[in-house]
Amino acid sequence: VIAIWITGACVAGSLAPHASAQISSAIVDEHRAALQKQATDADMKREGGTQPRDWNYELPEGVTTRQVTFYVDGGTALYGKMFFPKNFVTTLRWPAVVVGHGINALSIGIEKYAARFAARGLVAMAIDYQSYGFSSSGSDDIRLLEPDTTTDASAVIERQARILLKRTNLNNVHEVADFRAAISFLQGEPGIDPDRIGIWGSSNGGTVVLAVAATDARVKAVVAQVTGPRPAGRRRVAIAPQNIEDAITRVRTGQGAEVDGGFSFRSKVDQWYLTRNQDVQAGAVLDQIAPTTSVLFLPAERDELTKGPAGAIEAAKFLNDRGVTAQAIVLPELTHFQAYSYTGFEVGATLAADWFVKYLGERRASTSTGGK
Amino acid sequence: MNRTRASGLGVIAALVAAVPTAALAQAGARPAGAASASGVTTREIRFYSEAVLCYGKLFLPAGFSSASKAPSVVLAPTPGETAATLDRYAEAIAARGILAMTIDYRGWGKSGGFIYLAEPLKWDDRLRFSQHTAKVRIRRKRMIPSAQVTDIRNAITYLQGEPGVDRDRIGVWGSDLAGGHAVTVAGTDARVKALVAQVPIIPGKDVPRRATTLTAEQQSALVRLARTPAAGTAAGASLNDEEAKLALAEYRPFWSVTQIPQTSAVLFIVAEKDAKVDNESHAIAAFRLLKGPTSVRTIPGAAHALSGSAADAAAAAAADWLQKYL
Repeated sequence: VIAIWITGACVAGSLAPHASAQISSAIVDEHRAALQKQATDADMKREGGTQPRDWNYELPEGVTTRQVTFYVDGGTALYGKMFFPKNFVTTLRWPAVVVGHGINALSIGIEKYAARFAARGLVAMAIDYQSYGFSSSGSDDIRLLEPDTTTDASAVIERQARILLKRTNLNNVHEVADFRAAISFLQGEPGIDPDRIGIWGSSNGGTVVLAVAATDARVKAVVAQVTGPRPAGRRRVAIAPQNIEDAITRVRTGQGAEVDGGFSFRSKVDQWYLTRNQDVQAGAVLDQIAPTTSVLFLPAERDELTKGPAGAIEAAKFLNDRGVTAQAIVLPELTHFQAYSYTGFEVGATLAADWFVKYLGERRASTSTGGK
Repeated sequence: MNRTRASGLGVIAALVAAVPTAALAQAGARPAGAASASGVTTREIRFYSEAVLCYGKLFLPAGFSSASKAPSVVLAPTPGETAATLDRYAEAIAARGILAMTIDYRGWGKSGGFIYLAEPLKWDDRLRFSQHTAKVRIRRKRMIPSAQVTDIRNAITYLQGEPGVDRDRIGVWGSDLAGGHAVTVAGTDARVKALVAQVPIIPGKDVPRRATTLTAEQQSALVRLARTPAAGTAAGASLNDEEAKLALAEYRPFWSVTQIPQTSAVLFIVAEKDAKVDNESHAIAAFRLLKGPTSVRTIPGAAHALSGSAADAAAAAAADWLQKYL
């Protein structure tokens, strides 16, 4: 018998005020047969990534979209695609959600989640992280090919220059900053309630959204899909012996070795990411998440990358014990990349929307004191 | 105030007296060029911190060669100042056989600025790298602690690649807020074996380790930054101010103190008459939390901006500490 869903609750003697399941997981039961079929059907197998056919979706009736530009790190232009609910008007105050993709992937693959959230009355924005897709590369990824003659006499200089532009720098430190910039952008958007913003991230993006929540209490609700950051102590970052020579090459020449970035978007990435991404340790900062933030984990039972759902279940327990509303609902039978398609998508997107609607609320009448 | 734990200050003073600087200059081949009285020679170098070419100056101990297995240290300037202010300290440390490297942060001094695209470009993610002639915006004098911490870590990597340097014996030195940077680096990067924080500013002691609750004013500032393309130099300068305010408000190096393991030795050097920093809630509070070798060295009568004999005493204390623990 497979555990269908598991709450992160019910630790004996716990005084945690929110130690119980917060949303119904009945939909998992209802779709059990379909999930089993997805798990065994050869055509529905997904190994090492999603496929372009998984990215398609139909825009829900009445939902509208708009492409926007916002800025991170003092001037790097990022891309977002906003999805507005049917009958959206700026005279009301709407909850909003930032939707960010997983490791080495593009926003086009997860627009369908944003579309679903908009169908449930949430403004949703799917983003490309810096140096990916429609987002620009930032100052960490633009190298001058001529001497930099600027001096401290001027804070900003604009000029023509030869540059080397780098793309697909897989960097979780960037991604945390990008999510926060997206939240800031949404806070300033007419019709959006700046105090009711959530974030959705999947896979590596799940690690990132947890780190964002651990950093920034503006986040009121989190959904972390197919990720499982087991609670852990903070540790110093060590560069693995096989990466030291590469790190040295990097600081002495400006560029180190590349490795296959793999997964859904098969670009090369810098080998350095293996070291740099240790600077974001979601499991080590769970204790920083504010009690005003609620967290839903959607792990997959047979996740080959997270080694199953145990890490997410432990993380939810850990948060509950500290007075943070959290729940883990396991997607039975599925492997990592199956969560993005077919019944896995239907169930995962519905539960995520349920969570956001419950903890961000619905549209509200505008108040004279509100807005930014 | 004179609080010590692992080593008494008397011992440090005795060490200084017993080892005259001249004795440290090794007999034999002294490199050509401007060798100091202690035989220290210097070399200007460049290193990349992320995509930006940064300035560094190496202070090579007498007798240093690529066959040496010398300890080394990165010296980080007070934010807002440059590597040029650190010669005295680097010189004193190198006189003890430790290779010292002073640096300019990205966007300061002789280092390059942060580069942004000032016009849209076409790129292809599958190519990864492409060359362009494009209008760029180069930003300088940004005050972003996390970027400066990254610069220090990249400088450590540079030292690890320097022939003659022992990769496993590297320290960090910083003053003022860079003392906080040194604590941050030691708490997050396993390569740091010793650190010296001089008149350190280590914010965060009384701030619970929690996600930041931003004020309405801070949130409005973030909204402006996220929704306004930086344009023109006048706007750029005020952008720097707004950005710096937010970045500094979120910077909590004190949170890293408890992550420094017993294998890293930490010296705090404080000025007795420091009017800028309350030593009790910065250096001394951090000192109390450390489990490994640590000490607070007070420079009597000194103000926050160390100069003259006070600066010499601080340089000697740093050199003593690094010599002992590296």
